[in-house]
Amino acid sequence: MTSQRRRREEEEVRAEMSESGAQLFARLEARRCLKDIEPRLFPGDGGPQHGEVVELYGSEGTGKTELLYHLLCRCVLPNAAGGLEADVVFVDTDYSLDMLRLVSIMESRLNAALSTSAASDEEACRSCLSRLLVVHCSSSSQLLLTLHFLENSFSSRPGLALLLIDSISAFYWPDRCEGGANLAKQEEKLSKCSELLGRLLRDYRITVFATCHAIRRSYSGPSSSSFSDPDRPYLCRAWQRLVIHRLLCSRQEAGNNMAATAGRRQVLTVHCTSSSSSGTKAHRSSSFYVTDGGVEFT
Amino acid sequence: MVLLRDGMCPGLDEGLVRGLRAADIKTVEDLVSSDMEELAQRCSVSYKALFAIRRVLLAQHAAFPVSGADLYEELLSSTAILSTGNPSLDKLLDSGLYTGEITELSGGPGSGKSQVCFGVAVHISHQLKQNVIYVDTTGGLTAGRLLQMLQAETSNAEEQMEALQRIRVFRLFDVFSLLDCLYGLCGGGLQRASVGGGSVKAVIVDSVSAVIAPLLGGKQNEGMSLMSQVAGVLKTMAKDFNVAALPLLIKEEFDLKWWSRSKEEGGGAAAAASGKRKRDETDS
Repeated sequence: MTSQRRRREEEEVRAEMSESGAQLFARLEARRCLKDIEPRLFPGDGGPQHGEVVELYGSEGTGKTELLYHLLCRCVLPNAAGGLEADVVFVDTDYSLDMLRLVSIMESRLNAALSTSAASDEEACRSCLSRLLVVHCSSSSQLLLTLHFLENSFSSRPGLALLLIDSISAFYWPDRCEGGANLAKQEEKLSKCSELLGRLLRDYRITVFATCHAIRRSYSGPSSSSFSDPDRPYLCRAWQRLVIHRLLCSRQEAGNNMAATAGRRQVLTVHCTSSSSSGTKAHRSSSFYVTDGGVEFT
Repeated sequence: MVLLRDGMCPGLDEGLVRGLRAADIKTVEDLVSSDMEELAQRCSVSYKALFAIRRVLLAQHAAFPVSGADLYEELLSSTAILSTGNPSLDKLLDSGLYTGEITELSGGPGSGKSQVCFGVAVHISHQLKQNVIYVDTTGGLTAGRLLQMLQAETSNAEEQMEALQRIRVFRLFDVFSLLDCLYGLCGGGLQRASVGGGSVKAVIVDSVSAVIAPLLGGKQNEGMSLMSQVAGVLKTMAKDFNVAALPLLIKEEFDLKWWSRSKEEGGGAAAAASGKRKRDETDS
Protein backbone atom coordinates (compact mmCIF):
# COMPACT_ATOMS: atom_id res chain seq x y z
CA MET A 1 0.00 0.00 0.00
CA THR A 2 2.64 2.46 1.11
CA SER A 3 4.93 1.72 -1.84
CA GLN A 4 2.02 2.38 -4.22
CA ARG A 5 1.26 5.66 -2.47
CA ARG A 6 4.93 6.57 -2.56
CA ARG A 7 5.13 5.87 -6.26
CA ARG A 8 2.06 8.01 -6.92
CA GLU A 9 3.55 10.79 -4.82
CA GLU A 10 6.76 10.64 -6.75
CA GLU A 11 4.95 10.74 -10.04
CA GLU A 12 3.05 13.80 -8.88
CA VAL A 13 6.24 15.45 -7.82
CA ARG A 14 7.92 14.57 -11.08
CA ALA A 15 5.03 16.12 -12.94
CA GLU A 16 5.60 19.31 -10.93
CA MET A 17 9.35 19.20 -11.40
CA SER A 18 9.27 18.71 -15.14
CA GLU A 19 8.82 21.86 -17.09
CA SER A 20 5.47 23.37 -17.75
CA GLY A 21 4.75 24.31 -21.33
CA ALA A 22 5.46 27.95 -20.64
CA GLN A 23 8.83 27.17 -19.09
CA LEU A 24 9.82 24.96 -21.98
CA PHE A 25 8.91 27.74 -24.39
CA ALA A 26 10.85 30.24 -22.34
CA ARG A 27 13.90 28.02 -22.50
CA LEU A 28 13.82 27.20 -26.17
CA GLU A 29 12.63 30.51 -27.47
CA ALA A 30 15.55 32.38 -28.85
CA ARG A 31 16.89 34.90 -26.38
CA ARG A 32 17.65 38.32 -27.74
CA CYS A 33 20.65 37.85 -29.97
CA LEU A 34 23.40 40.20 -28.83
CA LYS A 35 25.41 40.11 -32.04
CA ASP A 36 24.90 43.84 -32.52
CA ILE A 37 25.77 44.79 -28.96
CA GLU A 38 28.98 46.59 -29.99
CA PRO A 39 30.11 45.94 -33.54
CA ARG A 40 33.10 48.28 -33.17
CA LEU A 41 34.76 45.75 -30.87
CA PHE A 42 34.42 42.57 -32.91
CA PRO A 43 36.00 41.63 -36.24
CA GLY A 44 34.02 41.17 -39.43
CA ASP A 45 30.31 41.51 -39.03
CA GLY A 46 30.50 39.53 -35.89
CA GLY A 47 29.52 40.01 -32.37
CA PRO A 48 28.93 37.28 -29.83
CA GLN A 49 26.35 34.77 -31.00
CA HIS A 50 24.01 32.84 -28.73
CA GLY A 51 25.83 30.86 -26.12
CA GLU A 52 29.22 32.49 -26.65
CA VAL A 53 31.64 33.73 -24.04
CA VAL A 54 33.69 36.90 -24.37
CA GLU A 55 36.66 37.42 -22.04
CA LEU A 56 38.00 40.92 -21.38
CA TYR A 57 41.59 40.57 -20.26
CA GLY A 58 43.86 43.32 -19.04
CA SER A 59 45.69 44.81 -16.10
CA GLU A 60 44.08 47.34 -13.81
CA GLY A 61 43.13 50.69 -15.24
CA THR A 62 42.64 49.47 -18.80
CA GLY A 63 38.91 50.08 -18.98
CA LYS A 64 37.44 46.58 -18.60
CA THR A 65 34.78 47.55 -16.07
CA GLU A 66 34.01 50.70 -18.07
CA LEU A 67 33.42 48.54 -21.13
CA LEU A 68 31.06 46.39 -19.07
CA TYR A 69 29.13 49.50 -18.04
CA HIS A 70 28.96 50.50 -21.71
CA LEU A 71 27.59 47.10 -22.72
CA LEU A 72 25.19 47.06 -19.77
CA CYS A 73 23.74 50.43 -20.71
CA ARG A 74 23.45 49.33 -24.32
CA CYS A 75 21.34 46.39 -23.18
CA VAL A 76 19.01 47.94 -20.65
CA LEU A 77 18.23 51.26 -22.30
CA PRO A 78 14.95 51.51 -24.19
CA ASN A 79 14.94 51.19 -27.96
CA ALA A 80 14.30 54.90 -28.35
CA ALA A 81 17.61 55.68 -26.64
CA GLY A 82 19.59 53.20 -28.69
CA GLY A 83 19.28 50.24 -26.35
CA LEU A 84 18.23 46.64 -26.77
CA GLU A 85 15.72 46.42 -23.88
CA ALA A 86 17.22 43.14 -22.72
CA ASP A 87 17.57 41.99 -19.11
CA VAL A 88 21.05 41.61 -17.66
CA VAL A 89 22.53 39.76 -14.68
CA PHE A 90 25.70 41.27 -13.19
CA VAL A 91 27.74 38.90 -11.05
CA ASP A 92 30.07 41.03 -8.94
CA THR A 93 32.91 39.08 -7.34
CA ASP A 94 35.11 41.89 -6.11
CA TYR A 95 32.71 44.70 -5.30
CA SER A 96 33.76 46.65 -8.36
CA LEU A 97 30.25 47.63 -9.44
CA ASP A 98 29.87 51.34 -8.88
CA MET A 99 26.13 52.02 -9.12
CA LEU A 100 26.59 55.78 -8.97
CA ARG A 101 28.91 55.69 -11.98
CA LEU A 102 26.59 53.35 -13.86
CA VAL A 103 23.59 55.59 -13.25
CA SER A 104 25.47 58.69 -14.35
CA ILE A 105 26.39 56.98 -17.64
CA MET A 106 22.79 55.86 -18.09
CA GLU A 107 21.45 59.33 -17.41
CA SER A 108 23.82 61.02 -19.82
CA ARG A 109 22.84 58.55 -22.56
CA LEU A 110 19.14 59.02 -21.87
CA ASN A 111 19.57 62.77 -21.90
CA ALA A 112 21.45 62.72 -25.16
CA ALA A 113 18.88 60.54 -26.83
CA LEU A 114 15.56 61.54 -25.38
CA SER A 115 16.11 65.06 -24.00
CA THR A 116 13.10 64.92 -21.69
CA SER A 117 12.35 66.55 -18.36
CA ALA A 118 14.13 65.54 -15.17
CA ALA A 119 11.15 63.74 -13.60
CA SER A 120 10.50 61.40 -16.47
CA ASP A 121 14.25 60.93 -16.76
CA GLU A 122 14.23 59.46 -13.26
CA GLU A 123 11.37 57.19 -14.23
CA ALA A 124 13.19 56.07 -17.33
CA CYS A 125 16.33 55.40 -15.29
CA ARG A 126 14.39 53.38 -12.77
CA SER A 127 12.78 51.25 -15.45
CA CYS A 128 16.20 50.63 -16.99
CA LEU A 129 17.63 49.64 -13.62
CA SER A 130 14.76 47.22 -13.05
CA ARG A 131 16.08 45.22 -16.01
CA LEU A 132 19.34 44.70 -14.11
CA LEU A 133 19.91 42.00 -11.50
CA VAL A 134 23.01 42.29 -9.32
CA VAL A 135 24.57 39.43 -7.33
CA HIS A 136 27.60 39.66 -5.03
CA CYS A 137 29.78 36.56 -4.56
CA SER A 138 32.54 36.31 -2.02
CA SER A 139 34.14 32.96 -2.88
CA SER A 140 34.30 30.50 -5.73
CA SER A 141 32.09 28.03 -3.82
CA GLN A 142 29.49 30.75 -3.48
CA LEU A 143 29.89 31.53 -7.19
CA LEU A 144 29.11 27.89 -8.02
CA LEU A 145 26.02 27.85 -5.79
CA THR A 146 24.89 31.21 -7.15
CA LEU A 147 25.12 30.01 -10.75
CA HIS A 148 22.90 27.07 -9.77
CA PHE A 149 20.50 29.48 -8.13
CA LEU A 150 20.50 31.76 -11.17
CA GLU A 151 19.29 28.87 -13.30
CA ASN A 152 15.83 29.57 -11.87
CA SER A 153 16.09 33.21 -12.94
CA PHE A 154 17.11 32.20 -16.46
CA SER A 155 14.21 29.81 -16.85
CA SER A 156 11.64 32.23 -15.47
CA ARG A 157 12.83 35.34 -17.31
CA PRO A 158 13.09 34.85 -21.05
CA GLY A 159 14.17 38.48 -21.40
CA LEU A 160 17.48 37.67 -19.69
CA ALA A 161 19.99 37.64 -22.49
CA LEU A 162 23.26 38.76 -20.95
CA LEU A 163 25.37 37.59 -18.03
CA LEU A 164 28.24 39.85 -16.98
CA ILE A 165 30.88 38.53 -14.58
CA ASP A 166 33.32 41.01 -13.01
CA SER A 167 35.67 39.38 -12.53
CA ILE A 168 36.12 35.67 -13.06
CA SER A 169 39.71 35.82 -11.78
CA ALA A 170 38.90 37.36 -8.39
CA PHE A 171 39.29 34.05 -6.55
CA TYR A 172 42.39 32.87 -8.38
CA TRP A 173 44.84 33.40 -5.52
CA PRO A 174 42.60 32.16 -2.68
CA ASP A 175 41.83 29.02 -4.72
CA ARG A 176 45.49 28.46 -5.46
CA CYS A 177 46.34 28.73 -1.81
CA GLU A 178 43.52 26.41 -0.75
CA GLY A 179 44.50 23.80 -3.28
CA GLY A 180 47.98 23.55 -1.83
CA ALA A 181 50.51 21.93 -4.13
CA ASN A 182 48.00 20.03 -6.24
CA LEU A 183 47.25 21.91 -9.49
CA ALA A 184 44.06 19.96 -10.14
CA LYS A 185 42.73 20.83 -6.74
CA GLN A 186 43.65 24.48 -7.22
CA GLU A 187 41.63 24.68 -10.41
CA GLU A 188 38.79 22.44 -9.27
CA LYS A 189 36.33 25.09 -8.20
CA LEU A 190 36.72 27.32 -11.24
CA SER A 191 36.52 24.25 -13.48
CA LYS A 192 33.21 23.29 -11.90
CA CYS A 193 31.92 26.84 -12.38
CA SER A 194 33.05 26.80 -16.01
CA GLU A 195 31.37 23.46 -16.67
CA LEU A 196 28.14 24.66 -15.12
CA LEU A 197 28.37 27.86 -17.13
CA GLY A 198 28.87 25.80 -20.27
CA ARG A 199 25.70 23.85 -19.54
CA LEU A 200 23.73 27.05 -18.84
CA LEU A 201 24.99 28.50 -22.12
CA ARG A 202 23.84 25.45 -24.06
CA ASP A 203 20.48 25.18 -22.31
CA TYR A 204 19.48 28.82 -22.14
CA ARG A 205 21.46 30.38 -25.02
CA ILE A 206 22.56 33.45 -23.10
CA THR A 207 25.70 35.45 -23.82
CA VAL A 208 28.45 35.91 -21.24
CA PHE A 209 31.03 38.68 -20.89
CA ALA A 210 33.63 38.17 -18.16
CA THR A 211 36.60 40.28 -17.08
CA CYS A 212 39.88 38.72 -16.11
CA HIS A 213 42.64 40.65 -14.37
CA ALA A 214 46.18 40.21 -15.68
CA ILE A 215 48.48 38.94 -12.98
CA ARG A 216 51.73 39.98 -14.50
CA ARG A 217 52.39 43.51 -15.59
CA SER A 218 53.77 43.79 -19.09
CA TYR A 219 57.07 45.54 -19.21
CA SER A 220 58.00 47.86 -22.04
CA GLY A 221 61.73 47.46 -22.05
CA PRO A 222 64.64 45.20 -22.90
CA SER A 223 64.01 43.05 -19.83
CA SER A 224 60.60 41.96 -21.11
CA SER A 225 62.07 39.02 -23.01
CA SER A 226 63.12 37.32 -19.80
CA PHE A 227 59.57 37.19 -18.44
CA SER A 228 56.77 35.03 -19.74
CA ASP A 229 54.18 36.52 -22.04
CA PRO A 230 52.01 38.67 -19.79
CA ASP A 231 48.86 38.12 -21.87
CA ARG A 232 48.95 34.36 -21.73
CA PRO A 233 45.73 32.98 -20.24
CA TYR A 234 46.30 31.55 -16.80
CA LEU A 235 42.87 30.39 -15.70
CA CYS A 236 41.89 26.74 -15.86
CA ARG A 237 41.44 24.82 -19.11
CA ALA A 238 37.70 24.40 -18.67
CA TRP A 239 37.31 28.19 -18.71
CA GLN A 240 39.62 28.70 -21.67
CA ARG A 241 37.65 26.17 -23.71
CA LEU A 242 34.52 28.26 -23.16
CA VAL A 243 36.03 31.54 -24.34
CA ILE A 244 35.29 32.25 -27.99
CA HIS A 245 36.22 35.93 -28.17
CA ARG A 246 39.13 37.37 -26.24
CA LEU A 247 39.48 41.14 -25.87
CA LEU A 248 42.90 42.26 -24.70
CA CYS A 249 42.66 45.67 -23.10
CA SER A 250 45.70 47.85 -22.65
CA ARG A 251 46.76 51.42 -22.23
CA GLN A 252 48.15 53.11 -25.26
CA GLU A 253 51.68 54.36 -24.71
CA ALA A 254 51.79 58.14 -24.47
CA GLY A 255 53.73 58.84 -27.63
CA ASN A 256 53.75 61.55 -30.21
CA ASN A 257 50.13 60.92 -31.09
CA MET A 258 48.91 63.00 -28.17
CA ALA A 259 47.31 65.70 -30.24
CA ALA A 260 46.27 68.88 -28.48
CA THR A 261 42.64 68.33 -29.49
CA ALA A 262 42.50 64.98 -27.75
CA GLY A 263 43.44 66.81 -24.59
CA ARG A 264 45.16 64.75 -21.95
CA ARG A 265 42.75 61.83 -22.07
CA GLN A 266 44.24 58.40 -21.76
CA VAL A 267 43.51 56.34 -24.85
CA LEU A 268 42.82 52.67 -24.22
CA THR A 269 43.08 49.99 -26.87
CA VAL A 270 41.23 46.75 -27.26
CA HIS A 271 42.51 43.91 -29.40
CA CYS A 272 39.89 41.28 -30.20
CA THR A 273 40.72 37.70 -31.12
CA SER A 274 37.73 35.62 -32.16
CA SER A 275 38.21 31.93 -32.68
CA SER A 276 35.66 30.30 -34.91
CA SER A 277 34.59 26.65 -34.91
CA SER A 278 36.79 25.92 -37.91
CA GLY A 279 39.87 26.90 -35.91
CA THR A 280 40.62 30.15 -37.72
CA LYS A 281 41.12 33.35 -35.80
CA ALA A 282 39.90 36.78 -36.73
CA HIS A 283 41.43 39.94 -35.27
CA ARG A 284 40.35 43.52 -34.79
CA SER A 285 41.80 46.46 -32.90
CA SER A 286 39.88 49.45 -31.66
CA SER A 287 40.56 52.24 -29.25
CA PHE A 288 38.50 54.35 -26.92
CA TYR A 289 38.74 56.77 -24.07
CA VAL A 290 36.65 57.20 -20.98
CA THR A 291 34.54 60.32 -20.54
CA ASP A 292 31.96 61.35 -17.99
CA GLY A 293 29.29 59.88 -20.21
CA GLY A 294 31.02 56.52 -20.52
CA VAL A 295 33.15 54.94 -23.18
CA GLU A 296 33.74 56.86 -26.44
CA PHE A 297 35.34 55.11 -29.37
CA THR A 298 37.87 56.97 -31.46
CA MET B 1 33.13 24.86 1.04
CA VAL B 2 30.25 24.19 3.38
CA LEU B 3 30.20 20.69 4.90
CA LEU B 4 26.90 18.91 5.14
CA ARG B 5 25.80 18.48 8.71
CA ASP B 6 22.61 17.12 10.22
CA GLY B 7 20.18 19.78 11.28
CA MET B 8 21.32 22.28 8.65
CA CYS B 9 17.89 22.25 7.18
CA PRO B 10 14.60 20.39 7.84
CA GLY B 11 14.80 16.90 6.50
CA LEU B 12 18.59 16.60 6.70
CA ASP B 13 18.99 14.13 9.56
CA GLU B 14 22.07 12.19 10.62
CA GLY B 15 21.08 9.05 8.71
CA LEU B 16 20.73 10.97 5.48
CA VAL B 17 24.05 12.77 6.02
CA ARG B 18 25.76 9.41 6.52
CA GLY B 19 24.08 8.01 3.43
CA LEU B 20 25.19 11.00 1.40
CA ARG B 21 28.74 10.76 2.68
CA ALA B 22 28.79 7.11 1.62
CA ALA B 23 27.77 8.30 -1.85
CA ASP B 24 30.73 10.70 -1.79
CA ILE B 25 28.60 13.82 -1.23
CA LYS B 26 30.28 15.73 1.58
CA THR B 27 29.60 19.39 0.91
CA VAL B 28 26.65 21.55 -0.06
CA GLU B 29 28.28 22.21 -3.45
CA ASP B 30 28.53 18.46 -4.14
CA LEU B 31 24.86 17.98 -3.29
CA VAL B 32 23.70 20.88 -5.42
CA SER B 33 25.75 19.83 -8.45
CA SER B 34 24.77 16.16 -8.49
CA ASP B 35 21.94 14.43 -10.28
CA MET B 36 18.93 14.30 -7.95
CA GLU B 37 17.29 11.16 -9.39
CA GLU B 38 20.41 9.07 -9.25
CA LEU B 39 21.26 10.28 -5.77
CA ALA B 40 17.74 9.58 -4.49
CA GLN B 41 18.06 6.01 -5.68
CA ARG B 42 21.54 5.51 -4.22
CA CYS B 43 20.60 6.84 -0.80
CA SER B 44 17.12 5.26 -0.91
CA VAL B 45 15.39 8.49 -0.03
CA SER B 46 12.43 10.06 -1.76
CA TYR B 47 13.19 12.30 -4.74
CA LYS B 48 10.78 14.92 -3.39
CA ALA B 49 12.54 15.15 -0.02
CA LEU B 50 15.98 15.42 -1.60
CA PHE B 51 14.82 18.06 -4.05
CA ALA B 52 13.30 20.06 -1.21
CA ILE B 53 16.55 19.84 0.78
CA ARG B 54 18.51 20.98 -2.26
CA ARG B 55 16.21 23.96 -2.71
CA VAL B 56 16.53 25.03 0.92
CA LEU B 57 20.32 24.65 0.99
CA LEU B 58 20.65 26.60 -2.24
CA ALA B 59 18.48 29.39 -0.86
CA GLN B 60 20.56 29.47 2.34
CA HIS B 61 24.01 29.54 0.80
CA ALA B 62 23.78 31.12 -2.63
CA ALA B 63 24.00 34.86 -3.04
CA PHE B 64 20.64 36.45 -3.64
CA PRO B 65 20.16 38.58 -6.76
CA VAL B 66 18.96 42.13 -6.13
CA SER B 67 17.26 44.38 -8.63
CA GLY B 68 19.41 47.25 -9.83
CA ALA B 69 16.70 49.76 -8.95
CA ASP B 70 16.53 48.61 -5.31
CA LEU B 71 20.29 48.59 -5.00
CA TYR B 72 20.50 52.14 -6.32
CA GLU B 73 17.80 53.40 -3.94
CA GLU B 74 19.61 51.82 -1.01
CA LEU B 75 22.90 53.34 -2.09
CA LEU B 76 21.43 56.82 -2.43
CA SER B 77 20.02 56.70 1.06
CA SER B 78 23.08 55.26 2.78
CA THR B 79 26.12 56.77 1.10
CA ALA B 80 27.72 59.69 2.86
CA ILE B 81 30.65 61.84 1.79
CA LEU B 82 33.14 62.60 4.55
CA SER B 83 35.30 65.65 4.25
CA THR B 84 38.96 65.03 5.00
CA GLY B 85 39.49 68.42 6.62
CA ASN B 86 41.79 69.57 3.85
CA PRO B 87 39.91 71.43 1.06
CA SER B 88 42.42 70.69 -1.71
CA LEU B 89 42.44 67.01 -0.80
CA ASP B 90 38.66 67.05 -0.87
CA LYS B 91 38.77 68.50 -4.36
CA LEU B 92 41.11 65.72 -5.47
CA LEU B 93 38.78 63.10 -4.05
CA ASP B 94 35.68 64.60 -5.71
CA SER B 95 34.40 66.29 -2.52
CA GLY B 96 35.68 63.78 0.03
CA LEU B 97 35.83 60.21 1.17
CA TYR B 98 32.85 58.15 0.08
CA THR B 99 31.47 55.64 2.55
CA GLY B 100 31.04 52.22 1.02
CA GLU B 101 34.28 52.61 -0.91
CA ILE B 102 37.94 51.95 -0.40
CA THR B 103 40.28 54.88 -0.86
CA GLU B 104 43.86 53.74 -1.07
CA LEU B 105 46.76 56.03 -0.30
CA SER B 106 50.06 54.92 -1.72
CA GLY B 107 53.39 56.62 -1.85
CA GLY B 108 57.05 56.38 -1.00
CA PRO B 109 58.30 56.51 2.58
CA GLY B 110 58.06 59.93 4.18
CA SER B 111 55.55 61.29 1.69
CA GLY B 112 52.95 62.13 4.29
CA LYS B 113 50.46 59.29 4.10
CA SER B 114 50.21 58.72 7.83
CA GLN B 115 49.93 62.44 8.50
CA VAL B 116 47.03 62.65 6.06
CA CYS B 117 45.37 59.79 7.91
CA PHE B 118 45.89 61.45 11.28
CA GLY B 119 44.29 64.56 9.86
CA VAL B 120 41.34 62.61 8.54
CA ALA B 121 40.88 60.80 11.86
CA VAL B 122 41.03 64.05 13.82
CA HIS B 123 38.62 65.82 11.47
CA ILE B 124 36.06 63.01 11.54
CA SER B 125 36.18 62.62 15.30
CA HIS B 126 36.15 66.30 16.14
CA GLN B 127 34.20 68.10 13.42
CA LEU B 128 31.89 65.36 12.25
CA LYS B 129 31.61 63.82 15.72
CA GLN B 130 31.76 60.29 14.32
CA ASN B 131 33.90 57.32 15.35
CA VAL B 132 37.04 56.18 13.61
CA ILE B 133 38.88 52.87 13.79
CA TYR B 134 42.64 53.19 13.31
CA VAL B 135 44.57 49.98 12.72
CA ASP B 136 48.25 50.71 13.28
CA THR B 137 50.70 48.10 12.00
CA THR B 138 53.82 50.21 11.97
CA GLY B 139 53.78 51.70 15.45
CA GLY B 140 53.68 55.17 13.96
CA LEU B 141 50.59 56.42 15.75
CA THR B 142 51.02 58.28 18.99
CA ALA B 143 48.21 59.84 20.97
CA GLY B 144 50.45 62.84 21.56
CA ARG B 145 50.47 63.69 17.86
CA LEU B 146 46.69 63.34 17.64
CA LEU B 147 46.35 65.61 20.67
CA GLN B 148 48.67 68.14 19.06
CA MET B 149 46.48 68.19 15.94
CA LEU B 150 43.34 68.52 18.04
CA GLN B 151 44.84 71.38 20.00
CA ALA B 152 45.23 73.24 16.75
CA GLU B 153 41.50 72.83 16.13
CA THR B 154 40.11 73.64 19.54
CA SER B 155 41.46 74.77 22.89
CA ASN B 156 38.64 73.24 24.92
CA ALA B 157 40.22 70.30 26.80
CA GLU B 158 36.90 68.49 27.19
CA GLU B 159 36.22 68.55 23.49
CA GLN B 160 39.74 67.28 22.83
CA MET B 161 39.21 64.33 25.16
CA GLU B 162 35.84 63.55 23.63
CA ALA B 163 37.33 63.56 20.17
CA LEU B 164 40.21 61.31 21.25
CA GLN B 165 37.73 58.89 22.77
CA ARG B 166 36.07 58.50 19.39
CA ILE B 167 39.27 57.22 17.80
CA ARG B 168 39.70 53.53 18.53
CA VAL B 169 43.24 52.23 17.95
CA PHE B 170 44.28 48.64 17.24
CA ARG B 171 47.97 47.76 17.27
CA LEU B 172 48.83 44.65 15.26
CA PHE B 173 51.97 43.53 13.55
CA ASP B 174 51.12 40.55 11.35
CA VAL B 175 48.56 39.72 8.73
CA PHE B 176 46.76 37.03 10.74
CA SER B 177 45.99 39.39 13.63
CA LEU B 178 44.94 41.97 11.03
CA LEU B 179 42.48 39.51 9.49
CA ASP B 180 41.31 38.50 12.97
CA CYS B 181 40.72 42.13 13.90
CA LEU B 182 38.89 42.94 10.64
CA TYR B 183 36.67 39.87 10.87
CA GLY B 184 35.95 40.74 14.49
CA LEU B 185 34.91 44.23 13.44
CA CYS B 186 32.63 42.83 10.76
CA GLY B 187 31.07 40.46 13.22
CA GLY B 188 29.77 43.04 15.67
CA GLY B 189 32.92 44.92 16.67
CA LEU B 190 31.87 48.00 14.73
CA GLN B 191 28.70 48.37 16.74
CA ARG B 192 30.61 47.89 19.97
CA ALA B 193 33.15 50.53 18.97
CA SER B 194 30.45 53.14 18.43
CA VAL B 195 30.84 55.46 21.34
CA GLY B 196 29.13 58.69 22.29
CA GLY B 197 26.16 58.64 19.97
CA GLY B 198 28.10 58.45 16.71
CA SER B 199 28.80 55.41 14.58
CA VAL B 200 32.01 54.22 12.98
CA LYS B 201 32.40 56.04 9.70
CA ALA B 202 35.99 55.31 8.73
CA VAL B 203 38.42 52.43 9.08
CA ILE B 204 42.06 53.36 8.49
CA VAL B 205 44.69 50.65 8.03
CA ASP B 206 48.21 52.02 8.35
CA SER B 207 49.74 50.23 6.59
CA VAL B 208 48.68 47.16 4.65
CA SER B 209 52.00 46.67 2.93
CA ALA B 210 53.84 46.43 6.25
CA VAL B 211 52.06 43.16 7.05
CA ILE B 212 51.83 41.74 3.55
CA ALA B 213 55.23 42.53 2.05
CA PRO B 214 57.06 39.92 4.15
CA LEU B 215 54.83 37.23 2.64
CA LEU B 216 55.25 38.17 -0.99
CA GLY B 217 57.86 36.93 -3.36
CA GLY B 218 59.38 33.59 -4.10
CA LYS B 219 57.15 30.66 -4.85
CA GLN B 220 54.66 31.15 -2.04
CA ASN B 221 51.02 31.64 -2.91
CA GLU B 222 49.98 32.46 0.58
CA GLY B 223 50.94 36.11 0.38
CA MET B 224 48.74 36.82 -2.64
CA SER B 225 45.86 34.86 -1.19
CA LEU B 226 46.08 36.66 2.16
CA MET B 227 46.24 40.00 0.37
CA SER B 228 43.08 39.10 -1.57
CA GLN B 229 41.46 38.16 1.72
CA VAL B 230 42.37 41.46 3.37
CA ALA B 231 41.03 43.36 0.37
CA GLY B 232 37.86 41.25 0.39
CA VAL B 233 37.10 41.82 4.06
CA LEU B 234 37.82 45.57 3.79
CA LYS B 235 35.44 45.84 0.87
CA THR B 236 32.75 43.82 2.62
CA MET B 237 33.11 46.04 5.66
CA ALA B 238 32.92 49.17 3.56
CA LYS B 239 29.80 48.05 1.68
CA ASP B 240 27.88 46.33 4.44
CA PHE B 241 28.53 48.81 7.24
CA ASN B 242 28.78 52.01 5.22
CA VAL B 243 32.25 53.02 6.27
CA ALA B 244 35.05 54.54 4.27
CA ALA B 245 38.07 52.25 4.33
CA LEU B 246 41.54 53.72 3.89
CA PRO B 247 44.36 51.26 3.42
CA LEU B 248 47.85 52.64 3.03
CA LEU B 249 50.40 51.12 0.72
CA ILE B 250 54.04 51.85 0.27
CA LYS B 251 55.14 52.12 -3.33
CA GLU B 252 58.80 51.36 -3.77
CA GLU B 253 61.05 51.07 -6.78
CA PHE B 254 63.82 48.51 -6.57
CA ASP B 255 66.62 47.63 -8.95
CA LEU B 256 66.78 43.91 -8.23
CA LYS B 257 64.93 42.13 -11.02
CA TRP B 258 63.43 39.27 -9.04
CA TRP B 259 62.27 41.52 -6.22
CA SER B 260 60.63 44.01 -8.53
CA ARG B 261 58.97 41.17 -10.43
CA SER B 262 57.23 39.87 -7.30
CA LYS B 263 56.47 43.40 -6.16
CA GLU B 264 54.84 44.08 -9.52
CA GLU B 265 52.76 40.96 -9.12
CA GLY B 266 51.80 42.06 -5.65
CA GLY B 267 51.20 45.61 -6.82
CA GLY B 268 49.02 44.45 -9.65
CA ALA B 269 46.88 42.25 -7.49
CA ALA B 270 46.58 44.82 -4.73
CA ALA B 271 45.66 47.53 -7.16
CA ALA B 272 43.16 45.29 -8.82
CA ALA B 273 41.69 44.58 -5.43
CA SER B 274 41.23 48.19 -4.32
CA GLY B 275 39.02 51.01 -5.51
CA LYS B 276 39.95 54.68 -5.79
CA ARG B 277 43.64 55.42 -5.56
CA LYS B 278 45.52 58.50 -4.66
CA ARG B 279 49.24 58.77 -5.24
CA ASP B 280 51.14 60.76 -2.67
CA GLU B 281 53.81 62.92 -4.22
CA THR B 282 56.37 64.37 -1.88
CA ASP B 283 56.06 67.78 -3.48
CA SER B 284 52.24 68.00 -3.59
